[in-house]
Amino acid sequence: MLTRRSAFKAAAGMAAVSAVGIGPARADQVVKVGINLSFTGADATSASRIANGAILAFEEADKYHEVPGITFDLEKYDDGSATAGQYDPAQAATNARKMVSDRAVIAALGPQMSGAGKAMAPILSAGDLATITPSSTNPDITDPKFAAQYRPAGKPIYFRTVATDAYQGPNMANYMAETLKVKSVYVLDDSGAYGVGLADAFQKQAEKIGIKVLGRDRLDPKAADYAAVLTKIKSLDPQALYYGGVGQAGVKLAKQAYEILPNVIKAGGDGMQSADLLAGAGFPAVEGWYATIAAPHVTDDPKVADFSRRYVERFKIQPDDYTITCYTAARVIIEAVKDLEANKKPVTRDAVRDAIQGVTIQNSLLGPIAFDENGDLKNKIISVFQIKKDPAKPLDSPADQYKYVGVAPMA
Amino acid sequence: MTVTDLFLQQAINGLSLGAMYALLALGFTLVYGILELINFSHFNVFMVGSFIALWVLQQFGVSGQDTILYGLPLVGVLVTAFAVTMLATGVIGVGIERFMLRRLRNVKGPAAMITTIGVSYILFNLVLLTVGADSKNFPNPLPSVQFAIGGAVLRLREVLIWIIATLLMLALTFFVQRTKMGRAMRATAQDAEAARMMGVEVDRVIMMAFFLGSALAGAGGLIFGLYYNFTSFIIGFNSGLRAFTAAVLGGIGNVPGAMLGGVLIGLIEAIGGQLIGSAWADVIIFAILVLVLVFRPAGLLGRLAPNKS
Repeated sequence: MLTRRSAFKAAAGMAAVSAVGIGPARADQVVKVGINLSFTGADATSASRIANGAILAFEEADKYHEVPGITFDLEKYDDGSATAGQYDPAQAATNARKMVSDRAVIAALGPQMSGAGKAMAPILSAGDLATITPSSTNPDITDPKFAAQYRPAGKPIYFRTVATDAYQGPNMANYMAETLKVKSVYVLDDSGAYGVGLADAFQKQAEKIGIKVLGRDRLDPKAADYAAVLTKIKSLDPQALYYGGVGQAGVKLAKQAYEILPNVIKAGGDGMQSADLLAGAGFPAVEGWYATIAAPHVTDDPKVADFSRRYVERFKIQPDDYTITCYTAARVIIEAVKDLEANKKPVTRDAVRDAIQGVTIQNSLLGPIAFDENGDLKNKIISVFQIKKDPAKPLDSPADQYKYVGVAPMA
Repeated sequence: MTVTDLFLQQAINGLSLGAMYALLALGFTLVYGILELINFSHFNVFMVGSFIALWVLQQFGVSGQDTILYGLPLVGVLVTAFAVTMLATGVIGVGIERFMLRRLRNVKGPAAMITTIGVSYILFNLVLLTVGADSKNFPNPLPSVQFAIGGAVLRLREVLIWIIATLLMLALTFFVQRTKMGRAMRATAQDAEAARMMGVEVDRVIMMAFFLGSALAGAGGLIFGLYYNFTSFIIGFNSGLRAFTAAVLGGIGNVPGAMLGGVLIGLIEAIGGQLIGSAWADVIIFAILVLVLVFRPAGLLGRLAPNKS
């Protein structure tokens, strides 16, 4: 659809130019941007909300001819597979190869999930194709320690408009200790790259600041029954449960923990901040869960009101925070291409990569955006939310059911 | 919680899991006993069953976690839901046999088995494409009654699942042991050729095996939904694989063996998870399977497969 629409726009633009007779008719240069998210499986709803952010950014850039002579074409890639039921690293690697082999693709957005990111990063590095992830938070991918693994070609190609789990997990541990006065915790993960990394980072900080970690176990996201592990946790009687992972195991965990561990404080990372969780587990099971996001909370910010209005007009649903990180990521690509055009440089992959590295947006919806030498945001903020039922609003709308409770203290 | 309470609780958890695996394992065993065919479409007939059950409950206006029923309305809704779901999945099973497997019956080699894998994926993707990929909230009409046994908790839904599963298994045993059709099934399982010569309508017997197995899978799907309060297009593989393992563990083709295997796998999963860690549950289950098969290749209760003469 997007392709057709952009093609139509390009054609319309050409017609307009020749009608007023300015020089020879010349079609805009169409630059392709790949967006790789998990459109199939447990995180599908979040994926489409994230993608909407990018769709809006590029549609507006095209509509207002923001970069003269350039039309953007957003091409969707789905790394979710039916057999995995969620993101599938093998599919993500295939998608990365497809993007790299399509010479028209000059930059990418995504992936949504860190497990996909780990599979894609080396391929993108070899292809010199920069990607900006709106939501994948595993720190290893941009950590210079693992440069040989994730950016073998040398230059950083994995940029983020979110902070990483190196902050998300530890900051939540601080929040638990300082605000929730938690003394003992049990830690679970969902055996994915994101979940394990997040739970590890949380656990390390919790131990460091004196929260007693009573145990650590791993959930199989495809299994249906977590009663055995939850019963074990119940017997240890922790004050809190921390879960590093995404929705597929999270939905079942929330349901069963509600029954087996009714009085335990439950918290997760941004994987537990989703419409899929609200719809799949539902109230009362999800009530009281804490979740973080690796970005400042801005959807209540007056500056964002105008964006929200345009977004709701276009998609008929409310944006959430990762819609905005994706919109911002798309804006970074637009700014990078604009820089190249202004300096009369060709819009090639390596030029776009270098331009992204240098982009600074002072007043983005997320505040100032600039990247460090590894592709991480210079400005790192973790926001904490708690689910509190608001019966007057749609029960599966994260914007309405997650209440912002503050910024988690830096580790 | 004391150690005893803890093990009691894990035994309760394990028995509930086991009841569901046993219902599913019966479907594998019934078909294997008669056709020597491993029917992989069974995985997703179970999954489709949970969606049919979801639809039936919604027709009664039972949805979300807030509609709780008591007394006669509860019994009525449950009986209807079980009847409709089992009939529907039974018909799906018969359809799979009649339109896809019957023509392959005398084809040598893995053609029929591969076909069942294909059917499994078709069902899987049909559900994925029609209802979407996210987990669906499954209604919970059962009142939340709990019994405390020391520090362990026994919930009404667990008791109910044990009762329903036991009733269904008793009914199946009675059917296979005491009715004319059951006798015909046993005869066909022993020697299809001889049974045919004695006037047994083998086609009908095979259809019946598919109907019963699939109906039990449908019941399993409804129980799954009531127990976990969610369903998703992906639930078939994990439960199906364990149920299949249960059937092999008990002795494939052997009806009591499938029940025993199911309950054992459920208990191993719960108690193994307690002792070693849930992440190791699959390793424990399949290691025990391998050990049992090394020492008793025909499974715990022996294999009742056709005697091919």
